[in-house]
Amino acid sequence: MSIGLPRMFSLHASLLGLFLFGAPAAGATDAPSGPTLVRTYCSGCHLEHGGSFERISSIRKSPEGWVMTLFRMHQVHGLALPEDAHDGIVRYLADTQGLAPSESAAGRFALERRPNARDLDLGPDLAAMCGRCHSLARVALQRRDADDWLKHMHFHVGQFPSLEYQASARDRPWWTIATTELPAKLGSLFPLNSAAWTAWSQGAHRELMGSWVVVGHEPGGRDLYGTAEINTDGHGGYTARYRLSDTRGGTVGGESHAIVYTGYEWRGRGELGGRASREVFAVSEDGSRISGRWFDPDHEERGGDWTAVRADAAPQVLAVLPRSMKAGSSGPITIVATGLPAGPELSLGAGTTVRITSVEAASVHAAVEVATDAAAGARAVTIGRASAAGQFAIYQHIDKVDVTPGFAIARVGGGKTAAVTAQFEATASTHDAAGKLVELGPFTADWSTKPFDAEAARTHDETFGGAIEPGGRYMPAGAGLNPVRDYSGNNTANLKVLARVHDGDVAVEGDSHLIVTVQRWVTTPIY
Amino acid sequence: MRMTTRGLLAVALVAVTTAFAIAPPARAGDLLLTAAKPDRLYVIDTATRSVRSEFRIPNAGAHITTIVPSPDGKVAYVLVNRMESISGINLKTGREVFRADLSVPGERVKDFCAFTITPDGKELIVYELPTKLLPNEYRVEEPRFAVFRTNAGLKAKSIRAYSAPRRLHLMLMRPSGKSFYAIGVDLYEYDVASGKLLNTRGIQKWDLVAHSQPDLLAFWPVTEPTGVFTSPVISDATAGGITAMKTGLMSLDVVSGALDFADFEDTSALIFSTVLAPDRKFAYGVYSTLTKIDIEHHSLAQRVPLDHTFYSVNIATDGHEIYMGGAMCDVAFYDPQTLQKRANLKLPGCGDQSLASLRVIPAR
Repeated sequence: MSIGLPRMFSLHASLLGLFLFGAPAAGATDAPSGPTLVRTYCSGCHLEHGGSFERISSIRKSPEGWVMTLFRMHQVHGLALPEDAHDGIVRYLADTQGLAPSESAAGRFALERRPNARDLDLGPDLAAMCGRCHSLARVALQRRDADDWLKHMHFHVGQFPSLEYQASARDRPWWTIATTELPAKLGSLFPLNSAAWTAWSQGAHRELMGSWVVVGHEPGGRDLYGTAEINTDGHGGYTARYRLSDTRGGTVGGESHAIVYTGYEWRGRGELGGRASREVFAVSEDGSRISGRWFDPDHEERGGDWTAVRADAAPQVLAVLPRSMKAGSSGPITIVATGLPAGPELSLGAGTTVRITSVEAASVHAAVEVATDAAAGARAVTIGRASAAGQFAIYQHIDKVDVTPGFAIARVGGGKTAAVTAQFEATASTHDAAGKLVELGPFTADWSTKPFDAEAARTHDETFGGAIEPGGRYMPAGAGLNPVRDYSGNNTANLKVLARVHDGDVAVEGDSHLIVTVQRWVTTPIY
Repeated sequence: MRMTTRGLLAVALVAVTTAFAIAPPARAGDLLLTAAKPDRLYVIDTATRSVRSEFRIPNAGAHITTIVPSPDGKVAYVLVNRMESISGINLKTGREVFRADLSVPGERVKDFCAFTITPDGKELIVYELPTKLLPNEYRVEEPRFAVFRTNAGLKAKSIRAYSAPRRLHLMLMRPSGKSFYAIGVDLYEYDVASGKLLNTRGIQKWDLVAHSQPDLLAFWPVTEPTGVFTSPVISDATAGGITAMKTGLMSLDVVSGALDFADFEDTSALIFSTVLAPDRKFAYGVYSTLTKIDIEHHSLAQRVPLDHTFYSVNIATDGHEIYMGGAMCDVAFYDPQTLQKRANLKLPGCGDQSLASLRVIPAR
């Protein structure tokens, strides 16, 4: 939709497909500077005044936020950027007008594309005014003063005139609120200037080259551990080479190419175990830890948690795999840790007998026997000079099974829009001697579904919605009208998901709620 | 209007197929107007349940919503181009005889479904939502009613404009031609000539006993065949300490000005639009079900599931048949007594009707 702005540049076809992950870095010596790029490509409309650009200089955002802005400038206003200019502008703006780590912390789940995340609670008014269309994380990942938030409201209604007509808008004087109370409130909650940003933007940040110890967990799937070697790529980015082990057996190699925006926002693109992966990580403020989520670019809902710690860090236990053992059982265990001495001694606490079977750079493998009368409860794990509480527990029996997420959404797939699956995980707990529930970690389970209520049974949702795989992943059915359903409805479903965990001869059940719904047509970098 | 050979063939095939399959009893029929993506306006002969004409609307922007026929039934005014243009199509020739492109360089103007025509057919009154497109910001301007002369041709410009409230979704001309109703946050009545606000009634200002603020958004401007516009209304009603969601019917007689509202059920199905039967004893509502509402007893008379969602409903001038459209590419014909389906007419090309109005005009 043309709005009469000059179309200054020819369309670059790759712009739409481009994203943050490991794009060629604009760090070569002959690359134009960030201000030059903004001046060249943006100042035709966003006039420059003494080094500041109208609107642009009044906003701070996450890297994804700037990508969304450039996408809109392309899509709505006809701006076409060469790929390297696009990347250079995003990088420059994210670096100079980004968010401090403390400012992006609350909305990280959205940057990490976490499925089934619970949105921020900013109160019912903001939920209705903003959160009914997009996540409140998208709001909380921006900084403006009240006058620019007001312009943002004008943009919203100018671009999306049906906003005022929708449910939760037409029950109130939406435009009056949007142009009076709301900008003031947002300007107070998320102002352009902050002490946190001043401190962060003026501070020095550690380089990330070196050896790192990595642990990762893919819900419903695998635990990974091993090492990462991070180097510079010579163009202002990083390369990471992974050598990981899968607790289910085998090794997982991989590598990625990443750009670190704003001094801490790691965005990587690579492959892990032969499959393409994307990385949205954050470097801790002291530069000692990298954490976040990696995911499949074609199915962003598939991915896992990721933590890397510098290999030369102070001794610490990163993971104990598995996270629990049953009294009277025996089996292997893996401790992932930094600062391992030669010939480490391992203790898993009372009631356990441990025999170390092998020691690697950042992991120790042991054979463990748990006494039949070992008391149920959490155990401190000590390896060399590192110890950890809350990472390992002994149980006599499983008392409770929880299924996470407790509420999930899957989407039917077909055509240009792939299905969105839902991955469930069963975690168990036991009571310790004091009666306190102690988490035992993920367990394998027998998975099944049943109608959530009588209406779901009547409409045969279980038959039409899809199927759950043995690993707890729900695969939705195809999209489109189904003439054998009421109203030719889609293969939507309202289901209870059941996990049955076997503890000896006893089975303990947990459940979750799954909605299988229709496709989402517009998938944005920040939902 | 221009029509492709393929389109003509498709129309003919549908007509033939329909005639063989579901030939209705012969009676003086109405014509139905509907529209579908990307740019089609259809005239359907209800007597034969066949497509009489298929017209292409120029520069429709693959987006067609509200249809307002001229009082003499010769021209259909259609909101197209993502709510930014009104195109008048001659229903005999298919030629575009009127065009108002509301946006101008530097100002984008949308009409959220609301426009109406004077009884003499000479003026269109259009609800305009303008936004100034400044170099690096948008500025939302105050809404207005803009008046266009229908003989202004294909580059029509408004001849006068009046201040209007925000968030209107419907406009209905009164038969006198002196005033029109505008429905949104409240029910407003404006003077056609001066644009003066004559009165404000109902909806959010309704003082409904033991009811929450009512909610309605039916933006299909159907007053045929009775001269009464009806809209489903949702509200919470409290009785005996129990609060329940209620579906009611708002009715506005554009002839007498009578405004009424009454619940008819605890909400058990969504209804998007309704129409009042000529005997005024029943109204019919659609979405994924067809609902028959007993007007006299304020009760749910009957409800049947539909093959798929329909957003638009209308009824024969003599009340013998219910018509449904506004979604996907078929128009359904139902028996108002039994709510049983009599026929489906698939539109040639199978474009999505996508919220388009379904209007009844006399057969000529």
